[in-house]
Amino acid sequence: MRNEWILDKNHLSYWLRQLRKERELVGPLLNGGKDIVFRTVEQIHEIVLDLPASLPSPKEFLLPQYEPMLRLDIPGGEPGVHYRAQPVSPDACVKGSRAGRVYDLAERRRRIVFGVRPCDVSAVRLLDRFFLEGYRDPYYEQRRMNTLMVTIACNNPDPTCFCIGLGTGPYLDGGFDIQLTDLGNRYFVQAASAEGVRTVKATSFLFRRPGKADHDDQYEVILSAKARFRKRISLESPRGMILAGRIKDDFWQRVAARCFECGGCVYECPLCTCFTVTDRRYHGGIERARLWDTCLFKGFTRMAGGVLPNEKRMLRTKRWYYHKLIHYPEVLGGFGCVGCGRCTLTCPGKIDMAAIATAMKGLDLDGATAVVGKGRQVGIGEVMRRPKPEETGAGPEGEG
Amino acid sequence: MTVCPYCGCGCGLYLHVEDGRITGTSPSRSHPVNRGSLCVKGWNAHEFVTHPDRLKTPLIREGRGLRRATWDEALSLTAARLAEIRAEHGPDSIGVLSSAKCTNEENFLMMKFARAVLGTNNIDHCARLCHSSTVGGLAAAFGSGAMTNSISEIADASLLFVIGSNTTEQHPMIAMHMLEAVDRGATLIVADPRRTQIAEFAHIHLRHRSGTDVALLMGIMHVIVSEGLVDADFVRRRTENFDPFAEELRRYPPRVVEGITGVRADDVRRVARMYAMEKRSMLFYAMGITQHVTGVDNVRACANLVMLSGHIGLPMSGINPLRGQNNVQGACDMGALPNVYSGYQRVSDPRARRKFERAWRRRLPADPGLTIMEMMDAALSGSLRAMYIMGENPLMSDPDLNHVREAMERLDFLVVQDIFPNETAEIADVVLPAASFAEKEGTFTNTERRVQLLGRAVGPVGESMPDGDIICALSERMGYGMSYRGAYEVMEEIALLTPSYGGILHHRLSEGFGLQWPCPDGGHPGTPYLHRKKFAKGLGTFITVDFLPPDEPPDEAYPFLLTTGRICFHYHTGTMCRRTAVLEREEPECLAEINPADAERLSIRKGSRVRVSSRRGAIELKADVTERTPEGTIFIPFHYAEAAANILTNPATDPGAKIPEYKVCAVRVERVER
Repeated sequence: MRNEWILDKNHLSYWLRQLRKERELVGPLLNGGKDIVFRTVEQIHEIVLDLPASLPSPKEFLLPQYEPMLRLDIPGGEPGVHYRAQPVSPDACVKGSRAGRVYDLAERRRRIVFGVRPCDVSAVRLLDRFFLEGYRDPYYEQRRMNTLMVTIACNNPDPTCFCIGLGTGPYLDGGFDIQLTDLGNRYFVQAASAEGVRTVKATSFLFRRPGKADHDDQYEVILSAKARFRKRISLESPRGMILAGRIKDDFWQRVAARCFECGGCVYECPLCTCFTVTDRRYHGGIERARLWDTCLFKGFTRMAGGVLPNEKRMLRTKRWYYHKLIHYPEVLGGFGCVGCGRCTLTCPGKIDMAAIATAMKGLDLDGATAVVGKGRQVGIGEVMRRPKPEETGAGPEGEG
Repeated sequence: MTVCPYCGCGCGLYLHVEDGRITGTSPSRSHPVNRGSLCVKGWNAHEFVTHPDRLKTPLIREGRGLRRATWDEALSLTAARLAEIRAEHGPDSIGVLSSAKCTNEENFLMMKFARAVLGTNNIDHCARLCHSSTVGGLAAAFGSGAMTNSISEIADASLLFVIGSNTTEQHPMIAMHMLEAVDRGATLIVADPRRTQIAEFAHIHLRHRSGTDVALLMGIMHVIVSEGLVDADFVRRRTENFDPFAEELRRYPPRVVEGITGVRADDVRRVARMYAMEKRSMLFYAMGITQHVTGVDNVRACANLVMLSGHIGLPMSGINPLRGQNNVQGACDMGALPNVYSGYQRVSDPRARRKFERAWRRRLPADPGLTIMEMMDAALSGSLRAMYIMGENPLMSDPDLNHVREAMERLDFLVVQDIFPNETAEIADVVLPAASFAEKEGTFTNTERRVQLLGRAVGPVGESMPDGDIICALSERMGYGMSYRGAYEVMEEIALLTPSYGGILHHRLSEGFGLQWPCPDGGHPGTPYLHRKKFAKGLGTFITVDFLPPDEPPDEAYPFLLTTGRICFHYHTGTMCRRTAVLEREEPECLAEINPADAERLSIRKGSRVRVSSRRGAIELKADVTERTPEGTIFIPFHYAEAAANILTNPATDPGAKIPEYKVCAVRVERVER
């Protein structure tokens, strides 16, 4: 028997109420009538079901922006202000008579995140490989083990979405915990992971088995959603162009000129994993935390002695794209991009993945060089648009 | 949702909270300013809130150190000492510095505290150091000293003229809109001695010599007039005093201007034609215009330029001073200035004074008070005996720090109220711990006059309290009752007494993304652009200006021109950003930018230690050899206490606005041998 059910929409809030008994429920909430953000749900009726396709990524629940890892208390010192402190073991002390006690601060709360998108689930599968293959990252593992994700498949992709070209959405055949497909008055429910199946079966009285009509409706919804994508982007062609050596550094130079070094693409990316570790000294001890970082910053690879091997912004921008377009496929067999379009939404310089892929396509059509003005820098945005009718003839000049 | 605590863009962001502790930040996708983006500081705005260095209890000086104290102790001592000094030396022996980092409500309360409780107009804040020339210069020309347009209009403009603003680094979210305008075909003209990132996108980048802005702008206007590109209709209908101004312009033909500024006469002509002939032209400026001894003249020249070509009073056309701090616009609006009450109502105007006297039931002083720089001089001469400083760090931010330190150490009593122990707190008699932006309620006003509500994410750390609550508690102890049920009630008082904020109330702000003043009544939707149909003061006035050189140009003894500013990853005196791991990791040390040609002459390499000295002091730091900075110029950011650029800077001020000349002073550079 396949793990497929039908949930009447009228039963959704009852179902969520049951789930909440075991876990903290996080879902998309409308904040002050402005933006939809993931927050702990207090009132189930406040959950927004009519969602835009791309919400903030649920990465923060697995790899928070600031995550305390451990705390070292120094005896005699004043206890700092802490939360969620659990001793690793009653006698877990480091060596030395004056040394203190170490507390493990890994998050262990059980949580359900409702309203995740298929692209994010695809991203989490890659995060799992990064954090759990070989060396198992205990902080990620704790959070991952305790988080159940309920996906809502995308019937209405945003204009920025391009998961369809990557096979990471708008519907998945597997890899999720639970996936809901909106069929109007009911949800088509699929469970894939053991925990997902267990969760549905625990409340099986709410579900019925799907009939042929349900399958037909689901198929129709999927088909119409797929037709709605405005961006049709394949990352194979940019990858091919890079590998063929057709993308020269002056292309990356023009891309990097538009980089504001905000880190937004990495922070928003559901599968970027750059982090750094920092120690904070409190009066009574030290807290070690990890926090989001980005490889787009020159200090990320600072070497002893202060050398910055990637001081040029161009090298860093290029590396980010190489990582996603070249290294990911080589190492993990798939692109380091799930087509969620969040970098398109956040990049102030508009040099996001979709823009770069499109710009490279432009290069492909125009020949070897992009449309560049006479002696002046032209943004990648302009590469994507038509060239200006007339140049002012101005060079970057005027001597000071 | 809340508002970013860094620059004046006023981006909307969300703070993420797990178990009562802030764990992250994310941008608001529908906010009209940032539209889903943030700069790196905004993305990391949550981190300093939980930093262990936060002040958690009041501190009182004991011998050479500070000891912990209770609120009761600290407030009683402060109230008693302030009362004592006031009784002995008069109310004007006390100076108050309010804060562009605090909310409108708190600035209003501080202003009320200074005027009604202490009885002095000696209140000022850091706007003195950044945009006092704007407030004065634009008010005289138009009657209102604020950004005339909205940020969301930028993308639709057809010409952007950016002068003296490193927009990509200092106002990244505004630069984002500028870049979009350029992508859509707008022309971008940048005038800046340094080759900043925004200059990389310019169609024309004018690298004039620092401090020659008036000459450059006069030259541009000369061409506009002599080539008949003036918007004669606009000048006739909406302005006054054109003829004497046009007469003065004759002295600045492009050839002469080339000699002063170093910008080729042809480029001056070309910029003039482009600017005047295009409609939907927006002019932007920031510290490169204001922080000069001719700051007010620079601003007036900009104002004249927009009037000359009629580029004002419409969407996508206007003059846009980019305000540096999250709430510097609001702190000015709230009257944290020595000469005006909230809404720029003059203290010397008997009608305005009577209105505030009736509302506050106190006699109020009529003479304008001292500005920051004057307070320092008064402290040195002994006429100022006490200071109450909220959320400012003058021992890092003011020019000629050695002088400032000497002055502040002479004070009988110094109270510092801040979220972190800063350089100024180290010499304070009482330190009061304040709550950060994430821990309180209130409003910030961004650079486009948008008043926005903060969202309280967590409670105050330790025993710290919101600044407003501290001021009220102190006021009670000094015998003047100030009790409000919340920030919203303070806002009601502001609305009552301030015409431009008349319709701005918290319940209206909680819907949508705030309101842009002027918003005179409860039904008013706010004003996206100013001076429609007529100027705030009626007719716009052409004010004649004349080029004057900087106060301290380079000479034989000090051959380099030092200009100071900010860098992308840091912010002002670094109290917040230098406690943020990624920001500090990225730019951990102060670098002096020097042109390769100069560097070669002085045998300086990238990373060499150099000693930079001026007539006022010297600092040692590493060199960064770069084409960004022109020959003969040194650029040093002012964020770093260990190499404080303001030890070097010149305290000479603009005669009108009293803004110091941070952008030009003469220095000597030597390589330090180890």
